[in-house]
Amino acid sequence: MIMVSVASGKGGAGKTSIAAALAELLGPARVFADCDVDAANGAIALGAALGTREPYDAGPGFKIDEKACTGCGLCAKVCRFGAIKPAPDGSGYRIVPELCERCGACLDACPSKAVVTFEKQAGELFVSGTRLGIPLVHAELVPGEDTSGKLVRKVRDKAERIAGGDSIVVLDSPPGIGCPVIASISGCDLVLVVVEASASGIRDAARLVELVASMRRKAVAIVNKAGLDGAMDLRAREMIAKAGIPLAGEIPFDPALRSAEEAGKTWLSLDGDSGARAAKALRAVRGVISGLSRRETDSNPSKEQP
Amino acid sequence: MSEARRTVIAVASGKGGTGKTTVAAHLAVAAALSRKTILVDLDVEAPDSLGYFPKASPTGEPLPAMVLVPRLDESKCSGCGLCAKTCRFGAIVAIGGVVTVDERICKGCGRCVAACPASALGEAAVEVGAARAYESGGLSLLEGRMAVGDIRSTAVIEAAKRAAASTPAELEIRDCPPGVSCSATHAIEGADCVVLVAEPTEFSLHDLGAAVELARGQGLPVGVVVNKDGFGSADVDAFCASRGVPIIGRIAFLRARAASGAATRLWSEDGSLMREMDSILARAVEATKARMPA
Repeated sequence: MIMVSVASGKGGAGKTSIAAALAELLGPARVFADCDVDAANGAIALGAALGTREPYDAGPGFKIDEKACTGCGLCAKVCRFGAIKPAPDGSGYRIVPELCERCGACLDACPSKAVVTFEKQAGELFVSGTRLGIPLVHAELVPGEDTSGKLVRKVRDKAERIAGGDSIVVLDSPPGIGCPVIASISGCDLVLVVVEASASGIRDAARLVELVASMRRKAVAIVNKAGLDGAMDLRAREMIAKAGIPLAGEIPFDPALRSAEEAGKTWLSLDGDSGARAAKALRAVRGVISGLSRRETDSNPSKEQP
Repeated sequence: MSEARRTVIAVASGKGGTGKTTVAAHLAVAAALSRKTILVDLDVEAPDSLGYFPKASPTGEPLPAMVLVPRLDESKCSGCGLCAKTCRFGAIVAIGGVVTVDERICKGCGRCVAACPASALGEAAVEVGAARAYESGGLSLLEGRMAVGDIRSTAVIEAAKRAAASTPAELEIRDCPPGVSCSATHAIEGADCVVLVAEPTEFSLHDLGAAVELARGQGLPVGVVVNKDGFGSADVDAFCASRGVPIIGRIAFLRARAASGAATRLWSEDGSLMREMDSILARAVEATKARMPA
């Protein structure tokens, strides 16, 4: 099995569109894992018909039982996150759910057992069929839930089980460089870094590249939204070259790419110059991936760990 | 009370790349003309708002965001494993009486330290990121930045929020991270209203729905700014109407604006855009009154 993660640092750089087109290009044995569980758009990009679903439980949350609370304030004193505050009506203390990290320190500290746990479904995990015939594993995190990295792990486990031996899993990573991104690229055979040709896109991609290097993952890059500002195109190429990452190609900024998606196509099956350049870049990425699979069959079985 | 309470507007979106930073920066520039304003970058994994202010100069040293992590004194450890049992983050493993702490994933709650019956766990502060204040043409700026390789974004966001709160300003505009999980939750917490930036694409609408739910879950008033209006054909108006969310501004898609955005050049000379910013600000401030005590 080969795992290719598509990431960018900056949001809106084109990860999902590129991941969908790559999955289409890679042939029959591939699975799409949408790891952007906060903002999951793989189902839209691939034209999914919602399939099987299962609940995702993140573990218990904590709250204070008003009747049992004596107002001693010990919980607020041990909470390192400022998440426990006096109730506005003066009846003891309350946990602010937005600030609570769910560590449970208050539970240990409360002398009157007023801190109680509660179970809450934190999201759902889906396996769906798609218009393109690519099996899709995706998830929806309940807004405000805080364990997206753990849910990413579930998506990956499920995708790997479906994929089996010879297939390729394409992972669509979330933006940023934090916990769910690390969960989306750890152990992957290749990270496709999508560099938006903008000042912020380049800066954010550079932070991602630093992370990928520290995790010792192999990388390849695509520049997206090229041609808006020549200086930015140049800077994107320089950043990629300086990082020692091969550049698979450049895709221009073109509203026609947007309309392809609205017509239910990926960037792979598009007429015109922009589509041709996208297809060329993706074929170059496929070349890198087939190099990986050859190496894997040649030199089994030791796969490096992060 | 002589000092007016600060108004906090959080600019968020769900989907990344819809124009949060662009809208937040321009709102801040427009606001700073008439009142003391601070722009706070809480997208600590990918902080980009400073890019719009190339002449910004730091007004102080970086304030490190610290987390207290446990340090094991092996000579005192009995190997009972209680610490590992209490840790909710999987940061401590106890196998065969040998305790190992992975401080990279420790959130610094201190529960293990309190639980250890042998007092074998001490604590050490580790830096997970920093907040730094800048100034540019009368506008205060504050940037939160998480260290590469770290996962404790919320600790950095809270440090940046505290640093921003200690700076004098009538109006605080927050540039929030994408998504709807812990980072976004912390970034909008404590705001008076949330301005959600959407673009007319199906991707954006899907994620906008989740962002509306997140903001409403915190009891915050919400308004939508349609950015890149005309770029795609998804119906933002119908979507917002169906959710009962007001549209408080529109920014037409123009290739020249996309190019300025790519280079993070302010469009301050774009008169119609700056007038739209004034109007968005007025409507956002109006919306905050919905949750102010009478």
